[in-house]
Amino acid sequence: MRSASTPPAAGNGLEPGFRGVICVSFGSTGDTAVPDTDGQPRYDLHFEAATADTLLELKSVFGSSRVGVRLVLAGPPTDIRAAAAVAADCGLLGEEVTLLSQETGPRFVYCPHCLSTTVDVTAGTEVTCHGCSTILAVTDHFSRRRGAYLGYSAHAEEAA
Amino acid sequence: MTAIALQPQVHPAVEGGLHLEVTDISRQTESIVSITFAAPEGGRLPSYVPGSHLVVQYGSGVNAYSLTGSGNAPSDYTISVLRVDEGAGGSVAMHRLSVGDRVNVSRPRSAFAPASTASHHLLVAAGIGITPILSHARAAVERGNTASMIYVHRPDAGAHVAEARKLLGPGLTALIECTNRGSFQSVLAEALITQPLGTHLYVCGPVVFMDAVLEEARSQGWSSARLHSEAFGAAELDAGEPFTVHLARSGVRLEVPAGVSLLDTLETAGKTIPNMCRKGICGECVLPVLRGAPQHRDLYLSDQEKAENTTMMCCVSRSNDPELELDL
Ligand code: FES
Repeated sequence: MRSASTPPAAGNGLEPGFRGVICVSFGSTGDTAVPDTDGQPRYDLHFEAATADTLLELKSVFGSSRVGVRLVLAGPPTDIRAAAAVAADCGLLGEEVTLLSQETGPRFVYCPHCLSTTVDVTAGTEVTCHGCSTILAVTDHFSRRRGAYLGYSAHAEEAA
Repeated sequence: MTAIALQPQVHPAVEGGLHLEVTDISRQTESIVSITFAAPEGGRLPSYVPGSHLVVQYGSGVNAYSLTGSGNAPSDYTISVLRVDEGAGGSVAMHRLSVGDRVNVSRPRSAFAPASTASHHLLVAAGIGITPILSHARAAVERGNTASMIYVHRPDAGAHVAEARKLLGPGLTALIECTNRGSFQSVLAEALITQPLGTHLYVCGPVVFMDAVLEEARSQGWSSARLHSEAFGAAELDAGEPFTVHLARSGVRLEVPAGVSLLDTLETAGKTIPNMCRKGICGECVLPVLRGAPQHRDLYLSDQEKAENTTMMCCVSRSNDPELELDL
């Protein structure tokens, strides 16, 4: 499920010390979604989805990269956001990451009451937290670190 | 050795600060001394963020110097001062201090803090610029972070070299000393392309040195959020020519003598001007200019802003004209 333009050497296939542009696409998004990297060395990765395994692989890619690298993430919001959170954890900064989001599909909502994350398939304004069953109103506040939108108890005032 | 140094009034920049005693003086190099201050009654001093500086009063003036400790629960504060004989007098006055002298100092001020998300710190110092860099290295070691250091100094004239070497270990993983330009170029070039992704770079030294390092880092793809610099290593500015300021709104005329900053002059006249670094770095002390051409000596305004002559940094800048009119 990986197609790398550079011949894989060891492990993740990235030449150690890579400082070019890492282009990661998810789902049906092709590598073509990623713009030209301006003659910079480029390393392409494609995954079906941002699964735990995928994210681990990304982590190892970031681990062999060095400061100077840039990251482009293309695909459904949930996938690229999960990948962006891993990138932030690995020390990539916001200005070094480009998100090319296909604005459809499910997204993650973070519950500040029980600290769990729920997949909001319908992308509506409310979602039931799968951790504590609180009905969460979904805010526009997106945490790159958590890779999720912040929710809050939608009917807090009524419950009180 | 004087028991108590003659202190005129408490300078506004150190008001609400601390009154400390010199407890140790140690010569680092021919032109650099380290001065340690502690509370006369002993005890803890306020903690500070690594890379912080202290404003110290000398006679009627003040100057800012980087602290060299980690900042964590300190019982004393140590600064190192490079003597600049043709400077405004601060460094010479500092070099005259003896153990037992009392001085007024500000609380530590932070303007060169470590990035909280950094997983590694690449520290680059030249000359007296070692002072805040040493603070960063010590803090990294104490906090269980990692750092590596490149230190450029003249052969056999590096301040704090022994202390830096002592930090080597799991915290400070490398200390590369460079005593000539060529070796520094290749050491820096290598360092810039081999850092793990969580690395931030901190540089302190002469302005041209810092500019060169930052420029090189940018050209190697370092984004500006990873780059931190501090110009306290910049040499003290010369005393300058005397000039007059006319404060248009308050209708007051003040003389700014050579060796006294405009900021000092305004403060002595009872004006409160926001300020922080007092070195032309932070941009806090900006003043609107109505008439006259300031002699810009700050590192904050862009060349274009300087050419417009509508604002000036009153902590370091002076006047090319005999009189300046300010909107104050
Ligand atoms: S006080 Fe920082 S620029 Fe003047």
